[in-house]
Amino acid sequence: MTAPPLLTMTGIAKHYGATCALRDASLRLYPGRVHALLGENGAGKSTLVKMIVGVVRPDGGTITFGDAAVAFRTVRDAVAAGIIPIYQHLSLFPQLTILENLSAFAFGATRDLRASSATLSIEQARAWLSSVGLERDPMTLVEEISIGERQLVEIARGLGQACKVLILDEPTAALTQDETERLFTVVRSLCAQGTAVLFISHKFDEIDSIADDVTILRDGRTVVDGAPIRSLTRDELVRAMLGEAVATGSRELPPPGDVLVEARGLRLHATAEPIDMGIRAGEIVGLAGLVGSGALDIASALAGATPVASGTLLVAGDVIPFGDRHTASKKGIGYVPSDRHLQGLFPVLTAMQNASASSLKVISRRGVVREQAESDRLLPWLRRLKLHPLKTELPAASFSGGNQQKLLMARNLALPGLRVLVVLEPTRGVDIAARETIHQAIIEAALKGVAVLLASSDLDEIEALSHRILVVRQGRISQELPRGTARGALVSALAERDAA
Amino acid sequence: MTALAIRMARQVRDRINMPASFFVAIALFALFALTVPRFATSGNAENVLRVASILCVVACGQAIVLILGGIEFSFGSSVALASIVTVLVVPDYGVMGGFAAGAAVVLLIGVLNGALIARFHLPPFIVTLGMLMAVAGLAATLAGGLPIDAPPSEAFSWPARGRVLGVPVPVIAAGASVGTLFLVLAYSTIGRLWYLVGANPEAARLSGIRVRTTIFLGYLAASAFCALAAIILTSRVGSGQPSLAPNLPFETIAACAIGGIPLAGGQGRASQVLCGVLIIAMMNNAVVLLNFPVAYQQLMIGAVILGSVLLQKSSGSIGVLWRSSVPKRGGR
Ligand SMILES: Nc1ncnc2c1ncn2[C@@H]1O[C@H](COP(=O)(O)OP(=O)(O)OP(=O)(O)O)[C@@H](O)[C@H]1O
Ligand SMILES: [Mg+2]
Repeated sequence: MTAPPLLTMTGIAKHYGATCALRDASLRLYPGRVHALLGENGAGKSTLVKMIVGVVRPDGGTITFGDAAVAFRTVRDAVAAGIIPIYQHLSLFPQLTILENLSAFAFGATRDLRASSATLSIEQARAWLSSVGLERDPMTLVEEISIGERQLVEIARGLGQACKVLILDEPTAALTQDETERLFTVVRSLCAQGTAVLFISHKFDEIDSIADDVTILRDGRTVVDGAPIRSLTRDELVRAMLGEAVATGSRELPPPGDVLVEARGLRLHATAEPIDMGIRAGEIVGLAGLVGSGALDIASALAGATPVASGTLLVAGDVIPFGDRHTASKKGIGYVPSDRHLQGLFPVLTAMQNASASSLKVISRRGVVREQAESDRLLPWLRRLKLHPLKTELPAASFSGGNQQKLLMARNLALPGLRVLVVLEPTRGVDIAARETIHQAIIEAALKGVAVLLASSDLDEIEALSHRILVVRQGRISQELPRGTARGALVSALAERDAA
Repeated sequence: MTALAIRMARQVRDRINMPASFFVAIALFALFALTVPRFATSGNAENVLRVASILCVVACGQAIVLILGGIEFSFGSSVALASIVTVLVVPDYGVMGGFAAGAAVVLLIGVLNGALIARFHLPPFIVTLGMLMAVAGLAATLAGGLPIDAPPSEAFSWPARGRVLGVPVPVIAAGASVGTLFLVLAYSTIGRLWYLVGANPEAARLSGIRVRTTIFLGYLAASAFCALAAIILTSRVGSGQPSLAPNLPFETIAACAIGGIPLAGGQGRASQVLCGVLIIAMMNNAVVLLNFPVAYQQLMIGAVILGSVLLQKSSGSIGVLWRSSVPKRGGR
């Protein structure tokens, strides 16, 4: 590496009250290279990148971009300078078209009211889109395209300016393999044009395939500073992140018992073909499907989370109305939704209040919440999932993405009378240690006779945990594959086009 | 230097867990005590508390609704209707019957609001605003447009003018309201449910919480506070008045906002209600003592609302003082 770094951060520190998010972090990004930023949940990765674009202000340390020290005041300033951040949280306007989103951004970047009349032409928009490999009509509404495609639109927005630094904070957490590949193609071509890319992910396969260099944060400190990724084995990376290796627990699944939860003649829409499925006690059923296949919808329906057109839901022989979460949860159906922020989190409430939201019945007596009972019930789970920081009185919004996910898992693992666990993307955004813990917790629940429905876009996860895999295509279950099915067969079952 | 001062101030505040508006109230008290003649006398203190008591009781109800992410305007006319119903019922059923009827009217309006908002998913802003107007019309119709005097009696004026152990009854009612609100919000299951539903109704539903029931009970509880205030207010004016306290909903929202309760839902504490009410009451009182025109009163309250909301929003050095970095047990 002879070229000077494009962006340098040194000695970065940041405190939030008593919590120390970053102590002494450094980072150097080089043009034309993909730099992976790794670290366990709460290590400070997102905080660090938010500092680059001026969303968070450092307490100490310096940031230089090119030759000059910089301190952007807003994201817009950073974007104008050629630093494009893509968050997991998308910032597009869903009710507007792709074109309107692209030109709104171009307009915003110029801050010139008169520029609004000179909106982006369709041709220009199409050119931007195709430069990120997205062949979509610019007049399509953003809400009609998938999350992966939205991310590409976000990147395309940034391409109006010269993109010197591209920041991707867990962009692939919600993407399918296909979409991830597409994103990587764009990243590689940007790189070839000299863009410096910062890539945050908890998925090692992706890091292997895209990253050139790696920086690792632990406890707010940089412990590996820009080493070539090939110079480290996966074991060494994990050790540097966690301070220890992750022991993979036993993946031995319990023998399933009798059918515990059953959907009969389930139609999500009036015109859909009916679905019949059952899960046995102690059985883990994987539900796999591409984005838009309906896998997540089927899982939500079984948890009583969404109303359906018709059908019967039975738990241990009792009929439960669809779309009635209260009754479902009383019958012991836990549900981890796929959209953490909209459907799961109470951002302004404490971590403990978030975790105990489904246990209020059992931790209350005579209308009073007993805080001792609350912490007795939830704290062991939070400990086990390694909530970091383990300060249960802090608001959930102040926790890192992966730690917020742990709160949702704890809420459901501690559900009173848990009999059925419906989990959607249970390990989205969590680090490998927490992923292992969550997997073990799911297997343990099954050992205790809980019926588990696991919907995930992470095929490794599905393969590792499922007794059998149901493949969902176009809103129905197209195939059932046994445990141990080869990856190739699974992938082709997912992607197979229907004849009609 | 300032950073250090702010950090120390925050630590002090986090330890005693007082809302930032508490310090504003203290500062205001000190300011008025030094500059306004006769402000810091026990007679005046009682006067301030007595005037503030009705606002305080109703603001406790408003706080619950705000925590739920809603808003309640119908207080303004429901106290008026209650006063008229009370006065109309007293001759036949006695003072107790009259007050009970008045309170029942307010509770009924609360039930209606709660049912419309929870059952039919209507926006609270519209429902309670509509209710405010409809009930005002009903009150005016019932009274024939003019105040109706109540037959004067010792019992009738007791809620407003009575004393227990030397303490005015309205002040006791206000203290009991704030105390109840504190206990309910901090310790009770329904209080926790209000926070959860207010913080994210969809997440609450998916967690298995009965969102509709929770919202309904919130509006009902709010109307219970308002019913108590209606009794005191009717007793004080000694008559049924079609336009008894038209500004009540706005004053209660102002008190909560000044106290630091965000309108976004999921947050709010009893101590914030108390501080907000006291700030408004002290300012009103100071304006009167200084013989300023009443218009100044509105001007000052308006400025304080805007100022306090600005403080809560700003991320500047004062803003970090205002926002609690460590909310003890969440919403309390
Ligand atoms: N607004 C805030 N208030 C208090 N603490 C915060 C705030 N934002 C972040 N933190 C703390 O800073 C630390 C670092 O958080 P950050 O989001 O950077 O982690 P991360 O490395 O991105 O983790 P993840 O992999 O889970 O996304 C965490 O301990 C978090 O609790
Ligand atoms: Mg993060």
